[in-house]
Amino acid sequence: MHIPDGYLSPATCVVGYAIMIPFWATAVKKVKAVLNTKLVPLMVIGAAFSFVLMMFNVPIPGGTTAHAVGAGILAVILGPWAATICVSIALAIQALLFGDGGVFAFGFNCFNMALVIPFVTFFIYRTFAGNSEVTSNKRWIWGAIGSYIGINLAATCVGIELGLQPVLFHTAQGVPLYSPFPITVSVPAMLLAHLLMAGPVEAIATGGITRYFQLTNPSIIANQISARLAPAKAAFNKLWYVIIALIVLVPLGLLAPGGAFGEGEISDIKAAFGFVPAGLAALRGHYHGLLQDYGVPNSPFAASAPDLWHQSVGYYLAAVVGIALIAGITLLVTRMIAAREAKKSET
Amino acid sequence: MVDYQIPEWLLKSQGPLPPSNSAKKTRRSFVEKTIDAFSGFLMDDFYSERIASANGLMQGLHPGIKVITTLLLIFVAVSLRSWELLLLFNLWILMLAYMSAVPLSTFLKRVWLVVPIFTGIIILPTLFNVIRPGDPLLVLLHFSGQHRLGPWVLPGELTITSQGVRGAVIFILRVGACVSLSVLLTLTTRWAYLLRGFSMIRIPTLFINILEMTYRYIYVLLQSASDMFQARMSRTVGRTGTGEQQRFVGNAMGALWSKAFILSDEVHAAMLSRGYTGTPRTLKNAKIRGLDWFWIAFALLVTIILLGGDRLVS
Repeated sequence: MHIPDGYLSPATCVVGYAIMIPFWATAVKKVKAVLNTKLVPLMVIGAAFSFVLMMFNVPIPGGTTAHAVGAGILAVILGPWAATICVSIALAIQALLFGDGGVFAFGFNCFNMALVIPFVTFFIYRTFAGNSEVTSNKRWIWGAIGSYIGINLAATCVGIELGLQPVLFHTAQGVPLYSPFPITVSVPAMLLAHLLMAGPVEAIATGGITRYFQLTNPSIIANQISARLAPAKAAFNKLWYVIIALIVLVPLGLLAPGGAFGEGEISDIKAAFGFVPAGLAALRGHYHGLLQDYGVPNSPFAASAPDLWHQSVGYYLAAVVGIALIAGITLLVTRMIAAREAKKSET
Repeated sequence: MVDYQIPEWLLKSQGPLPPSNSAKKTRRSFVEKTIDAFSGFLMDDFYSERIASANGLMQGLHPGIKVITTLLLIFVAVSLRSWELLLLFNLWILMLAYMSAVPLSTFLKRVWLVVPIFTGIIILPTLFNVIRPGDPLLVLLHFSGQHRLGPWVLPGELTITSQGVRGAVIFILRVGACVSLSVLLTLTTRWAYLLRGFSMIRIPTLFINILEMTYRYIYVLLQSASDMFQARMSRTVGRTGTGEQQRFVGNAMGALWSKAFILSDEVHAAMLSRGYTGTPRTLKNAKIRGLDWFWIAFALLVTIILLGGDRLVS
């Protein structure tokens, strides 16, 4: 899931940092308000823990092993803001010491692993198990489910980030400059690997550790660090709007910097090649249209923008399919667990 | 009175150890793999510490300047669009590595063995016209006419396209250059100095402080985790089921957190007793010397030449 440098265009990397900087700042502010001087030692240990956790080989059926990110469990025990700091630091050390994940791509790597996973995990854990007893089975089950969904949403984000590259950044001859696969390929590819391998591993880690704490040291779960560090419930209701807004805006929003950065202006291209590629002209026309009207782009159905229209449909389809897949599997797992619990209580 | 003499072999300086042993890989259990991962981390880290304290070009530069120029050069790598210039750029980076006393075999193994395999596999399908249409460069197969497969139309022949090859070469060279530059930076700079370098690009002291301490406590937690796995390995006879193994990993991780959490309390108490008030203090940075200014000017020159050349070529 670590994106190396060279897969994302510089413009995209800037977007990644621009998204993360306010989150980092808020995270430090929130955590500091609760922990005060304990901020540094606890974040240090959390980051070191997350780093070591990523080196654990978790056995999965079939005799192979895979690594967990560990962002889910940190969200459960420390709350999502602290988890964001800890995982970001662990990722920074991985990038700097071992070149795991790029320096420019660090912003988006943090967005995917240090922001999406903890917040989604915590959101689900808190919603479904927040009021249950400390030793209730609900806690570890929802922790596991939450981190499973979290890591798959993160994988979807990686797929979207990579999949936008060939559309936005290619030479006039159509040779893609960065990651070459469109969203319709990159999202399913990322999801497949995470639904089957990385997802279960993350779920095992989160569920297993939570279960261990319930049995041996319930105070860690009951400990109010995560509760005190958690955003208010109302903030989580807003999260849904943010998620919906992101789904809608990601394809549109990233088109703008793509048009403005890196690519030559249309006049340059015309001067160099004597003609303007049709797709580019369409993209550019659409881009200006968007700026002028400041609202719904003027009919993407128009004949001048068929390419973009097709691509946008592709994005939405991919996003919708991805989300539907995750939601469907979540429901399935929930059903299965419910059925098992029912069976248990019968006997 | 005995005359103590240090034997000669003890005075000899030893060359860096190879980063990791490539012993025969049989199918190993998750316990062994994890222990290997732990010791691999330590070995890699010690190895790069040794290179970082060698006497070479990059080692002699001010860490802040090195961080800034590395970021600048990664930007160049990400922006270049012509494969000729990317190749040149990569050769130059190899030269820098050589001048910085990084053994070329290590460097090539870390960069040019890993990048073509991983990135190559990812980019491979785009070579063929079935995935991405383009001008044929090499015809591999002729099909009899067009085939329809649901919504997909298979073209009459399977070819490797010139666009595909160009794209793949550019992509691999670019990723290679980016990885080379960050490997070079981290191999030639000790962790503590590297972090001081980062404080020059306005990364808040708080983060640098946390990074610095995290690095130290990774060792502590690694030791602890490694002990757990060694203990488990030495007590395991016969085979165990996946479910039991997964429970063990979950428990080990949980136990590690319990220990770490207590440790964080102790560290906190230790910090407070030494007068920590919440604002970190660090030592003054190293001085920027004439050589560093020269290096910055040189890196800027390389940037201008490469980016300018790129505009002309592509």
